[in-house]
Amino acid sequence: MLSQLDKYLGKLHRDALVKPQRAALLVKDDTLLAQGPADLSSLGAAILERINVLALAIAEPLLPLTDLLIRRAAPDCRTLVPSDTETRTFLHDIPLVRKAEFATGASALLADLLASRKGIIVEGVGIVTTGAMTPEMAYINWSSVWHAVFVKYLSDLLTTGIRSPDDELMVAALREQYRRPITTVDCCVRATPPVERSDIYAQIERIGRCTVDLQLVDSAFGNISWRDGGMIYISQTGASLDELAGCIDPVPSDNSSTVGLTASSELLAHRRIYEATGARAILHGHPKFAVVLSMLCAEPGCENIDCWKDCPRIRFLATTPIVPGEIGAGGLADKVAPVIGAAGTALVYGHGVFAIGREHFGEALERLVAVENWCRQEYFRRLVVRMT
Amino acid sequence: MFGWHGRLLQVDLSAGRARTESLPEEWLHHYLGGRGIAVRLFRDFFQTEPYSPEMPLIFATGPLCATAAPTAERMAVVSRSPLTRTLYDCSVGGRFAQQLKCAGFDVVQIVGRAAVPMVLAITPSGAELLPADSLWGSTVPTTIAALNGRGSVVAIGPAGEHLVPFATIITDDGNAADRGGLGAVMGSKRLKAVVVSGAKLPEIADPARFERAHNDILRLFRAAPVLFGELGFGAYGTPTLVDLLAQRRMTPTENFRKTFFAAAANYSGPALRAAYAPHKVGCCGCPLQCQKVTADGAYLPGYEALSHFGALNNIGDLAAIITAIRTCHELGLDPVSAAATLATWGEVRGAFVTEAELVPLLRDLVWRRGAGEPLCVGSRQLALAAGKPEVSMSVKGLELPAYDPRGAYGMALAYCTNNHGGCHLGAYPLAHEILRKPAPTDRFSFAGKARMIKIAEDINAAVDSLVACKFAFLGAGIEEYAELLAAVTGVDFTPERLKEIGECIYLTERWYNDVNGFSVIDDCLPERFFREAGSRGDGIEVPPLDRARFDEELQKYYRMRGLDAHGRFVDRNFLVSLTC
Repeated sequence: MLSQLDKYLGKLHRDALVKPQRAALLVKDDTLLAQGPADLSSLGAAILERINVLALAIAEPLLPLTDLLIRRAAPDCRTLVPSDTETRTFLHDIPLVRKAEFATGASALLADLLASRKGIIVEGVGIVTTGAMTPEMAYINWSSVWHAVFVKYLSDLLTTGIRSPDDELMVAALREQYRRPITTVDCCVRATPPVERSDIYAQIERIGRCTVDLQLVDSAFGNISWRDGGMIYISQTGASLDELAGCIDPVPSDNSSTVGLTASSELLAHRRIYEATGARAILHGHPKFAVVLSMLCAEPGCENIDCWKDCPRIRFLATTPIVPGEIGAGGLADKVAPVIGAAGTALVYGHGVFAIGREHFGEALERLVAVENWCRQEYFRRLVVRMT
Repeated sequence: MFGWHGRLLQVDLSAGRARTESLPEEWLHHYLGGRGIAVRLFRDFFQTEPYSPEMPLIFATGPLCATAAPTAERMAVVSRSPLTRTLYDCSVGGRFAQQLKCAGFDVVQIVGRAAVPMVLAITPSGAELLPADSLWGSTVPTTIAALNGRGSVVAIGPAGEHLVPFATIITDDGNAADRGGLGAVMGSKRLKAVVVSGAKLPEIADPARFERAHNDILRLFRAAPVLFGELGFGAYGTPTLVDLLAQRRMTPTENFRKTFFAAAANYSGPALRAAYAPHKVGCCGCPLQCQKVTADGAYLPGYEALSHFGALNNIGDLAAIITAIRTCHELGLDPVSAAATLATWGEVRGAFVTEAELVPLLRDLVWRRGAGEPLCVGSRQLALAAGKPEVSMSVKGLELPAYDPRGAYGMALAYCTNNHGGCHLGAYPLAHEILRKPAPTDRFSFAGKARMIKIAEDINAAVDSLVACKFAFLGAGIEEYAELLAAVTGVDFTPERLKEIGECIYLTERWYNDVNGFSVIDDCLPERFFREAGSRGDGIEVPPLDRARFDEELQKYYRMRGLDAHGRFVDRNFLVSLTC
């Protein structure tokens, strides 16, 4: 268990998600194990005393977006309701706790909230998440809440504007952090298709690590596949894309075997895309700026409120089409496949980007990166317009 | 009161009468329904002999039943198992539970023994006992057909009548209280069947909140590949597990001597689809519809029955396997225990049964005659009688299901800590060790498994009391179901409260076992798993379980449960300490 704590605490730091020395991870085995600074570990231990879960993550994000969102929220607001797909599906909403509430009875209050939700944000502390069964779940939930917080803050800046000097400082910091475009030069992705089965696995593992390193996907979300004759090799559901060794399912195209039962929830989307385009590779990531922009729509007179599933139009960000659709059997597959062929990319509302490689993984990665780079530039262009 | 009627139908077969009793609201809030309320009702009966007339047989619905809550039109069927001598509950879907709830009852408790075979007919106005002489001796399908039109039916077959300790109680829509021999308890009461009809749907405290929670759950179902994926339970039923567990080298083969069966693909999900072109059906109120039915209306079996009549007995012929399982259904036999007992016998005699032997042996087993006679006691007693107790692959007398514990260490632990005996459903570690839900865990590691099993047992005890299907939790979580429960009842149930309720239910069952003499000696796997490796292949090694690590994790589990090193209660006043 200690090795698990080290591993996932290390991931939080490696992903540059948390402030140095401001992250703790705890596990309640037959005894309590904790890694991280004493104050956070102590708070975490007090929470774990009160709830029946295995693990808890408590960490202050590198960018103070949690505090900024809390300050932007109305005084009577008790929860954040981000509109992105992952949050809506898996977290539902994110309770928030202000400093004033937090001052007394901290652990009891936080434990009560964490009893009903996978993660919460706490002013001055950061993000606190549980892992019902594993330390990895606490890490994944932390990462998911961070993704939701990031997307919501950036969306709010564009829709409701800058409200304080702190927001102005944050915009400057974000512009600096995301000034340089993402580049794939260090990724060592081969521009040749894999031939042998072992090479297929190796390339999928390598491309998975790249998508995480380039921050095109958080935690255990996103998926990757390769089509080889009558077989689709696809990452498993819940697999971390930077750890795909042993987590790739070979799925026969004709469904003559059900070994792929543990394949990604987007197996159907991948299959439909292959059928529609004849591509060889598919990458699906959740790059943040693309997710943010996919949810911004200024269609005049539109009364649709469930855009994420019911939008009747295909919108575009540059040449990339945006379609609605829910995860898995929620309709995403039928929406993406018909539109992805032209540009080789498609964006799912509030969810993420699908990119294809017609001959090799390198093409798919370049397309995915190009979409996110374009969206970064476009986001800050729109922000400048909004500010002026 | 929303969510419950607060009404129990008490039936005394000896006296030939029934009366309605009130269920205290406090009990319902503390035990919910289903398994939980039955555990509470058993407080005065847990030492009663299974075949004693005083032994209750309970059908208990839950607060979500008949509300359109996904997968919750279920009930717990509960009594003391003649096979394991533990309290035993089976979570049963179909439409019987909904009809019972709509008839105005939360629970039916049946005691006594009828002088002659009877059918119990339940309506909103009460109950009536009907003579069943003409049905006694009939198969399950014949009995159900004879009662057609009177409502939803549960019935036993000849196996229950003949007190086979792994007899089942089967519903009219292909579901069953299939394990633990509760059909024999029903048979001992000379109760051939129960029919129920009702039409009044219960009210929901907060319909808008219910709708939100309902939609959240369905969204999670659609996002779960194992449920709604194109290879999932909805598409293929549980036989979709055949290929996966074969690849993982976890298929119990030849009485668990191997863990891979080359002919398993003969009865896989795709093989069944090719052979029978089945369509989907399922439990009332379930969006998943994981049962599969052939064009002529025959229910296709699930994974465990297929695998045990197949790999466990070294039989690869699909038609023979299907015929054997249908025979079990007709006779009212648990196909898992039946197949496992045949496999034990095969190892004892040095030759596994042939396709041709299957059906005659099953019939002889039920009628306790010829070659079948020694088999009618289940694998543990059979192996003991043969002087080879080590070849019974069971825990607490319950034959293990079709998941080899050498391929999933949480499963190994869960088989032992389950209060019923060797059952995977108490903690359902298959979810995280194989199906990667809610998150994957290392199946070849014991690290953290004691805590994981403990948490899952508590949650599942609450789930079995709601009563919801465990498959639902391959997509949704206890958070979403707590919200649903709060919406239905108007009572502020939280996920943490449900875990507390589940823990109380688990511990009460464990206490009953403790008083009945169960201890660490019974929380143990057959020696084979610690000595023999499973089948290797596809880059997977399946070594024997590490005895020291297993014992270490079991002791951790005991400490987390507040038990001593022998798995017994330190607090000898446990029951007294319960507030309700």
